[in-house]
Amino acid sequence: MDKFIVIGERIHVISPEIKEAIGTRNPAAIIARGKVQLEAGADYLDVNIGPAERDGVEIMKWIVPELQRALDNAPLVLDTVNQDAIRAGLEAYNPAKGRAVVNSADAGERISNLDLAAEFGAISIGLLMKKGVPASNDERNEYLQTILEHAMEAGMDPAEDVWFDPLTLVIKGMQEKQEEFLEFIRVLKEMGLKSTCGLSNASNGMPKHVRPVVDSVLCAMSIECGLTSAIMNPTDKALMDTVKTSEIVLNRTLYADSFLDI
Amino acid sequence: MPFTKNPQVFTAKVTETVIGTGDTAVRLGGESVFPLYAFDAEFKNPPILGIDFSDKGPDRHIPGIAAFYEGAESLADIAKRASAAEGASFVSFSLKSADPNGDDESIEESVAKCREVAGAVTRPLVIQGSGNAEKDAQLLGKVAEALEGQNVLLMSALEDNYKGIAVGAVLAYGQKIAAESAVDINLAKQLNVMISQQGVKNDSMAMHVGVAAAGYGFEYVASAMERIRGAALSQNDDMLQTPIVTPLANEVWGVKETIVSEEDFPEWGPVEERGIQMEVATAMACLASGSNAVILKHPESVKTVSTVVSELM
Repeated sequence: MDKFIVIGERIHVISPEIKEAIGTRNPAAIIARGKVQLEAGADYLDVNIGPAERDGVEIMKWIVPELQRALDNAPLVLDTVNQDAIRAGLEAYNPAKGRAVVNSADAGERISNLDLAAEFGAISIGLLMKKGVPASNDERNEYLQTILEHAMEAGMDPAEDVWFDPLTLVIKGMQEKQEEFLEFIRVLKEMGLKSTCGLSNASNGMPKHVRPVVDSVLCAMSIECGLTSAIMNPTDKALMDTVKTSEIVLNRTLYADSFLDI
Repeated sequence: MPFTKNPQVFTAKVTETVIGTGDTAVRLGGESVFPLYAFDAEFKNPPILGIDFSDKGPDRHIPGIAAFYEGAESLADIAKRASAAEGASFVSFSLKSADPNGDDESIEESVAKCREVAGAVTRPLVIQGSGNAEKDAQLLGKVAEALEGQNVLLMSALEDNYKGIAVGAVLAYGQKIAAESAVDINLAKQLNVMISQQGVKNDSMAMHVGVAAAGYGFEYVASAMERIRGAALSQNDDMLQTPIVTPLANEVWGVKETIVSEEDFPEWGPVEERGIQMEVATAMACLASGSNAVILKHPESVKTVSTVVSELM
């Protein structure tokens, strides 16, 4: 079993600091956030530039080399709904330390992002949704088949080149949907497929002091079900400790007293 | 059905640690395959052997060893002779007299002996301490200082003294250290973590993960080594990727089969032959389980094991 992959979520246009840095093309703040996440144990950095309908191409052309140059070619997840911007990011990407990840294709309008990823030898996240979030595992399964077919037609190896995202649903409001979410991770595992999810979505709207424990518990339960990666906050120590401990319990990492410090 | 070869080659690899300087320097580790699996991929650095003698001189009561060192009386002459042993890539010098529960020789005397040996060897040098954690913490630091520039491997840093040795020997004087644990995979990893937290990089380290003579609980040694190499290669655990160096002469030449006389056990045959056989069997078992280097003391065992290794590579 491969090591669980932590995708750092903190380069996100929703943060005022990142928004301003992108707007003024000043890379310092973005690089600093990338560095902190890598030092905290992130394997990948998600780079979310928002819809960026107007200048997405320019932003990706600028931000991808800036980050990779400063951070020893850290592997990146290119996150925007603007397909031209993703293409620009893939053109600028250096795969020396890991393949690029396209975030994301879905079973609907964005399915052609699979072709784009295939063209560049990149990985694509496959969101198991079409128009809104999936209402049931039957729906998830339907979207899964759609994405699998398209990926294979595009020449991808679905077991390696697509990370399927069953979509984390907010617990506060959709509590009854959580068990199905975990079940579907198990389905993906049994099919030999890789998976990912935006872990912290589940605790959205909860009080600040509750979120770390909710995120940690959901993370541990998901890893046990077979989740192979997650987009999450690597600077949340409780969460990172949970990932490390899960790997110890599942015998994927050899125990040593200092395992939390590594 | 035709046989399809399916080599097990990993993307992870064992760290390469260099000891010695110049043309005779040796490289430990560097492979990305299981021990001795030369049929899966070429070994960047095949396993190597060291020949050991102590500061009390070679064990001349063993006729083959006495003959090999004949005429070599001073430590310098003994060191030169050891350097010429067929099949040995490095020389190991053990500071037995420094043991506080034995001769308790002063640190200055031990350091002077190390200087004499280091000045005479023509191969890389491994220094084995007294075996007493407290004494070695100071002793190995002083030896490191005295032999600065010779890139020696110091054995060993233990859980109780790694801090002083890591900082003193490696960080201050650029020597290499071996982290020693007693057949305990979790402690082997923990010790590497703690030493690396002192600022020592993997390429300045080796590990001695414990040993037993063949037939004396060796299955625990084999399983520990295999688990360590498995974690290093298949789980890419960089806290277990340092090369394994296994001094086994003392273990082997301390068991009944290598000690009791032929008069007492005529059916066992000559004692020296038994000793060599035990040493060869134990060394091969270590190399098959994961050791990148083994340290023996009988020149005949060294020659035999090195022949087997070169045939396998």
